[in-house]
Amino acid sequence: MTDDTTSTPHEEENTTDFGFSRVNRGDKAGMVRGVFDSVAGRYDLMNDLMSGGIHRIWKRFTIELSAVRTGQTVLDIAGGTGDLAAKFSRLVGPEGQVILADINAAMLTVGRDRLIDKGATGNVQVVQADAQALPFDDNSIDCITIAFGLRNVTDKAMALRSMLRVLRPGGRLLVLEFSTPTSALLGKLYDQYSFQILPAMGRLIAQDAESYRYLAESIRQHPDQETLLEMMEVAGFANCRYHNMTGGVVALHQGFKA
Amino acid sequence: MTQHDPALISAALAGIERALNQAIALSPTSHDELAGLAGTVLGVEVTTVDLTVYLDIISGTEARLMTHCELPTAAFVRGTVEDFASLASSKDPAAVLINSGIELEGNSGSLIALQQVISRMDIDWEAPLVATLGDVMGHQIAETLRSMFRWGESAHSSLRRQISEFVLEEARLTPPKAELEYFFDAVQSLSMQVDRVQNKLEKLRAKVEQKRGQA
Ligand SMILES: C[S@@+](CC[C@H](N)C(=O)[O-])C[C@H]1O[C@@H](n2cnc3c(N)ncnc32)[C@H](O)[C@@H]1O
Repeated sequence: MTDDTTSTPHEEENTTDFGFSRVNRGDKAGMVRGVFDSVAGRYDLMNDLMSGGIHRIWKRFTIELSAVRTGQTVLDIAGGTGDLAAKFSRLVGPEGQVILADINAAMLTVGRDRLIDKGATGNVQVVQADAQALPFDDNSIDCITIAFGLRNVTDKAMALRSMLRVLRPGGRLLVLEFSTPTSALLGKLYDQYSFQILPAMGRLIAQDAESYRYLAESIRQHPDQETLLEMMEVAGFANCRYHNMTGGVVALHQGFKA
Repeated sequence: MTQHDPALISAALAGIERALNQAIALSPTSHDELAGLAGTVLGVEVTTVDLTVYLDIISGTEARLMTHCELPTAAFVRGTVEDFASLASSKDPAAVLINSGIELEGNSGSLIALQQVISRMDIDWEAPLVATLGDVMGHQIAETLRSMFRWGESAHSSLRRQISEFVLEEARLTPPKAELEYFFDAVQSLSMQVDRVQNKLEKLRAKVEQKRGQA
């Protein structure tokens, strides 16, 4: 099977999605960087406001499903400001190791400060890295999480393969991402929220409606539950499954390295 | 996998966990006892509603609640809503444990030790539950927790009926309240309403079909 089957419909072309716009494949990463450079400072505040704090609940369940325990090595890729990394740091303990990785230096800078504030430093490493080409050894990581990150990655199939490579056999990947609401009514309400309320909040609080419009649009471009599940299987993950949360507004996908 | 929305269950557990850890912090005498239980994981499965909750005593000052846990459990209790309700309201929990359908796997010693530590603490179960699950459901579950950890103190005569009725039928009728604010409220209550309407439709459809079959 070729990669094309794992890509969203347009990905085999020379252009890719940037929200609802089409841009050259080579340009997307830079444009995504622009978005997160611009929101980094207020990212945490916006996250809480935009989701009414519920992203913390989604992350809480992600941590439960990770079943991470003392002594393990955990990679949080696209980890941004380090919410998950801080939690993992406590769970793996002094013998364990957490890697907070992100492509964006501005997000990592905020992340590093947050980790220091939370006292999570001894066992956390901060690494600037692209999910599509992870700079880690094969079979070196017990658990990988990517929360609200995969939709920003240009070549998702490539990123999934890269994650599989660095996982230890038996290790697991958890993808937390916006998804497709399971009911049409909920979908409508959610559309209204993300295309009207969300950019308005972005304008008011972060003076940046455009970045938040991108976020809303990129959510709609992201593969739905079944499509992502299939992409994970095609990439080579075993025992793949997903849990819908908040009516499918968000889904948590899980896969293992055999 | 449970059929519940993990976000809703996690929200409730997050609230209970906070109340529990606050109570532990306020009860220094419990720290040594809990430290003795550190590393102990207990599982409770309510079969009727297909819900399993794990309690992990991390240290003398911290406990964690989870819906998913891959650590070995020291004790695992399994029963129906009715079983737990009668256990909670019983003056003689040992007898209920023996006579009811409750199954206990593993070490009952750690279960009883924990029940005793917690029963001596003053835990505000209600506030976090009401905040996340709404008045009716939050209050009911808080009542159950309260009485579970105060075996013998008071018998709640109507609890058993209320809880099983409530959990099985009314759970979907209460939209979540305040704390999770605008987004959660709107999205979650709508999805529950949709579920409820769907349920009703299905029940109606089943009835119609049944009648047709009889005619
Ligand atoms: C919406 S934020 C999520 C941050 C954090 N995981 C959370 O849940 O709060 C998305 C993050 O993905 C990062 N990102 C985008 N493309 C990436 C790539 N190719 N590799 C690694 N990180 C990437 C962005 O820099 C940004 O920090």
